Amino acid sequence: MATPALAEKPAVTSRPGRRPRRPVFGRRDHLIALLLIAPAIAYFVVFLLYPALAALYYSFTDWDLRTAPNWVGVSNYTDLLFDQAKYPHFWQSVKVTLQYTLIAVPLTLGTALCQALLLNTIRRGANVFRLLLFLPVVTAEAAVGAIWRWLYDPQYGLVNVALGLVGIPRQNWLNTPELVIPALAFIAAWQCGISMIIYLAGLKGIPASIREAAIIDGAGPVQRFRRIVVPMLRPTTFYLLVTGVIAALQVFGLVYVIFSGGGGRSVTGGPEQSGLTYVLHLYLFAFRYDAMGAACAMSFILFVFILVITALQFRFLRQEAS
Amino acid sequence: MTVQAAVSGRGRRAHQAPGGVARRVRLTPVYVALVLLALVSVVPFLWMLATSFKHGPDVYTKVPSLLPLDRKTGAWAPTLENYEHVIRIGGLGRAFLNSVWVCLVLVPAKLLVDALAAYAFARIPFPGRDKLFAVLLGGMMVPTITLLVPRIHVTQELGMFDSGWGLILPNVASVLDIFLLRQFFLSLPSELEEAALIDGAGRMQIFWRIIVPLSKPVLAVVTITSFIFHWNDLVWPLVVLNDPDLYTLPLALQQLASTESGRAYYIMAGAALAVIPVIVVLMIFQRRIMEGIAFTGLKS
Repeated sequence: MATPALAEKPAVTSRPGRRPRRPVFGRRDHLIALLLIAPAIAYFVVFLLYPALAALYYSFTDWDLRTAPNWVGVSNYTDLLFDQAKYPHFWQSVKVTLQYTLIAVPLTLGTALCQALLLNTIRRGANVFRLLLFLPVVTAEAAVGAIWRWLYDPQYGLVNVALGLVGIPRQNWLNTPELVIPALAFIAAWQCGISMIIYLAGLKGIPASIREAAIIDGAGPVQRFRRIVVPMLRPTTFYLLVTGVIAALQVFGLVYVIFSGGGGRSVTGGPEQSGLTYVLHLYLFAFRYDAMGAACAMSFILFVFILVITALQFRFLRQEAS
Repeated sequence: MTVQAAVSGRGRRAHQAPGGVARRVRLTPVYVALVLLALVSVVPFLWMLATSFKHGPDVYTKVPSLLPLDRKTGAWAPTLENYEHVIRIGGLGRAFLNSVWVCLVLVPAKLLVDALAAYAFARIPFPGRDKLFAVLLGGMMVPTITLLVPRIHVTQELGMFDSGWGLILPNVASVLDIFLLRQFFLSLPSELEEAALIDGAGRMQIFWRIIVPLSKPVLAVVTITSFIFHWNDLVWPLVVLNDPDLYTLPLALQQLASTESGRAYYIMAGAALAVIPVIVVLMIFQRRIMEGIAFTGLKS
């Protein structure tokens, strides 16, 4: 991998094993250290540790944020999973989210890799292209949602006009159930800049000597891509895959903006709930129906699911390595 | 073809002058592909800007225009009235100032909290330090959405629901930033510190006089990324605010998009207000941001 650019300060020699032993300072040091970490630790306890434990507790109650929570055992979990009458759209939200993840993550990584390979080829103008390709990343999701609603507009939207140029008929992208997820995944790929930068760093880390040796051995470009670039980028791809899947499973803000309408905070799951992602569903139960207990149960199901997926991905990687 | 170009391009770079004719010919398809990709990336912003400067009737035309032109004459006819409307009546002026205020308080406060903790975790030995740090890192695994509902409750209990403090305090530290800063502090040479300690300097003096000046690049990265994050954040303001006077820019923009969905020119003016400051920051600090992302990505 490339030397992280930030650590490139010339005078730096890191010696993690050596620390100044200074018994005179010992006691005072402990006190100072305590004072320095106190704000962060307080934050950690109040806004991370306690909420995490509280969420677990509330997931076993029928809490509505105003009255005291009642213990209901595992019924939130069993109702979510099995009671179609009480939570008619739970499995729909699971399906939407999985479909979105399966389309958006490969599309994003593929686009990012293409962009990185292209950028890595050129020198003149590379910075400008990198900046332009990166712009969508720093854009607020509220703005992204607003801009793409307008781009996907069935009558005046630029997407339909552009597709019309190559003979594809107009589509009502955000109002056709089958097209909603591809439309959302395309936005995700449009925002692939972070993956692109990380791939680019990975490419810069491939030693030139390996490629030159391959050229001397007569390996063609396709072979070199398959035998050198892909394997050398494997750790990068794996990292991007794990983080990409975790992020895709939690997609919310963008969908919220895309499907909010009619004023204020009213939001729908899109046509026939085709855009009802898992977290949007959770949000509706928490803040529309005040079912905080059920929302917390949903959030824990997601948490466990993410842990399992991540563990599986790591295991898969280890199996491949051995 | 892109792959071929990518791989062989690097191979020959060493042997050939950059302006070589063969190289230029070979790179043409690469540039064409990059221009197309860059267009996909940028045209949405250009269209946002064009729409935001158009008179209402000029927006809804059969053939779309990437310039604010009059629908009948095709003459150059930009207007600022959409911006005036969303700033004055749409509440985006106030929301813009709210966002500025939140970022001005939150970003430095967060940087201070994180940097002080990272310094202690990196440099000052105290019992149980590394275990405590491991616990902190473990906290990063919990998805934000799991914390959302109880965080709202904590914020209510602290009497900060629907207030500026409720926007700031629940975001005033970041385990990831502490981690990044600690990594960087660990990479600094300890000789300077040891010398300063012998000369009788205190830990805080060392922090301000030695650590901070040496860590400017990483402090800049953390500052910029946290500014971008909080300037853009929609979800937390959405759940913690009710009072429209307190809305931050993304929340006000979402409300505008929801209520004025038939008036793209207003919404695009609002989107431009949210987007432009961040793009300016990106342009100024481009290298720092990119390096920071590569660094974070490879580290975690």
